[in-house]
Amino acid sequence: MVANPSQADFDKPKRESVPIDSPSTLQKLIGRREFGPLVLLIVEIVAFSLLSTTFLSTGNLSNLLAFTPEMGMMALGMTMLITAGEFDLSVGSVFGLAPIIMWTLFNQEVMSLEAAFFVALGMSVLIGFFNGWFVTKLKIPSFLVTLGMMMVARGTALYITDGFPQRTWRADSALTEIIVGDFYIGEFRVYASLLWFILFAVVLGFLLTQSRFGNWIQAAGGNSSAAHARGVRVNRTKIMLFILTAVLAAYAGITSSIRVSAANPNSGTGYELEVIAMVVIGGTALMGGYGTIIGTIIGVFILRMMRNGIVMIGIPGLAYNIFIGAIILGMMALHSWLERRHHSGT
Amino acid sequence: MATELVRMENINKFFGRVQALNNVNFTVYENEIVGLLGDNGAGKSTLIKILSGAVLQSSGKIYIRGQEVDIDNTTDAIKHGIETIYQDSALVTQLSIARNLFLGREPLKGPGFLQWMDQDKMNVEASRLMREVGITKNIPPTTPISALSGGERQAVAIARAMYFDSDLIILDEPTNNLGVEETHGVLRFVRNARDSGHSCIFIAHNIHHVFQVVDRIVVLRRGEVVADDIDPKQYTVQEVEEVITGMRVM
Repeated sequence: MVANPSQADFDKPKRESVPIDSPSTLQKLIGRREFGPLVLLIVEIVAFSLLSTTFLSTGNLSNLLAFTPEMGMMALGMTMLITAGEFDLSVGSVFGLAPIIMWTLFNQEVMSLEAAFFVALGMSVLIGFFNGWFVTKLKIPSFLVTLGMMMVARGTALYITDGFPQRTWRADSALTEIIVGDFYIGEFRVYASLLWFILFAVVLGFLLTQSRFGNWIQAAGGNSSAAHARGVRVNRTKIMLFILTAVLAAYAGITSSIRVSAANPNSGTGYELEVIAMVVIGGTALMGGYGTIIGTIIGVFILRMMRNGIVMIGIPGLAYNIFIGAIILGMMALHSWLERRHHSGT
Repeated sequence: MATELVRMENINKFFGRVQALNNVNFTVYENEIVGLLGDNGAGKSTLIKILSGAVLQSSGKIYIRGQEVDIDNTTDAIKHGIETIYQDSALVTQLSIARNLFLGREPLKGPGFLQWMDQDKMNVEASRLMREVGITKNIPPTTPISALSGGERQAVAIARAMYFDSDLIILDEPTNNLGVEETHGVLRFVRNARDSGHSCIFIAHNIHHVFQVVDRIVVLRRGEVVADDIDPKQYTVQEVEEVITGMRVM
């Protein structure tokens, strides 16, 4: 009995024992794609706090956290979309257009602020749907489709407003409080947008890693024909993600317009590339198949802190792009090196 | 007599003026491994592509268990229980073994609208399947496909076909680019698949591999079936090679 291995042996837990070369917890942590960005973020925080006495002050931190969620929300949507193998260049324009629609409708007394809010979000659903439909049904690369949409949306915002900002101060609504109302924890000023950002991040993180939809997103980006053959609705998945990305960009734009009390038709210009940079720096694969919400949050903070920090230590703000470019190149080199090392090891 | 599983009848395929298949009749019975042989350009991959939905026949009919079926695309084929395993192409290399096995049919848990994947179940089932298909090495089911060897990838694809009860598993050059041990592994997976009640079509350039695993050999030559019931136990490799090259008529 003992000498003869039987089926029962297969069921014994010892069969599940750890393989000899199983990596330790520390090795696993280092092997994660988020590890490089995390180290960079820590180095950045340490460096800036050593070089500037005010970098870690409550005033500066709450300032930093006021703007970060707006870029962050766009980056969350973009993470899901890039994981599915597509990206969206129109987010910056949607960020600008949505608040223009909302405030114009409200200021012209066409409808209440709440109704205008939903009309603006509805418009972003349409924009996302058009993007997705063009990419999946007409098989046009997302680069071209969303480049076109970027111009259409920006042009619409400029045309509606004649290029002038919309006033926003007349609104005194519960809605604005819910979206971006502020409160104090001690001296620390917290905007509601930070809470929304955390909520969105948790929900989307769960969706990406734990749900069937998340599995489909990764499969669509990794090998869409194989996914399709298994019955995964690749096109529908992608269309839904284009819609999600556009809605989050619109919501972020509305948040921003309430916080700064201005809806400028030019706001959000250039954000699309910064958002894509945040996502890719965080470890999401630009070509799809792998995405990480935690990495994106790290990426968002790396870039936002860089913008804030270089000003705090006295480097002219105009030099910002030099640092961002260097970070992107450095992180891509790191990811590619880790990838090659990983593959040569197997 | 064995029951008929798939029958392809009078299949013709033209690519422009070139006739790739000429009135081909091809049958697979339940619980058998058929070796499909032929020189380059003999039409074996065209025949397989028609069966797996990648190519549409110009004329001819396909029956599954006696029922005529239309196979217009790969999804149709899978729906009818025909699974084709090409090297690599059917797997998402970034995803884990378990996620690939259950892709498109993920088990769910949790209440109503808020459902998530039952990853514990997926992992347990994946481990069991990998053992069943014949992988003896202890590979965690959370390992991404990209970290697996060619033979192990074949194992995952075969395991998936077995688990979702594909009646017919088509293996197109499954032993290409594999080492000796890996090849033996794949041949073992194929036998295991047959022994658990699946039929297989096995296509390989290496005729020795075919001889080691199949129950019956069908030979195509210039788009026509020239032999469809060669018992590998009664013929030598050389004799079959002569049939393939047209030096021997059966």
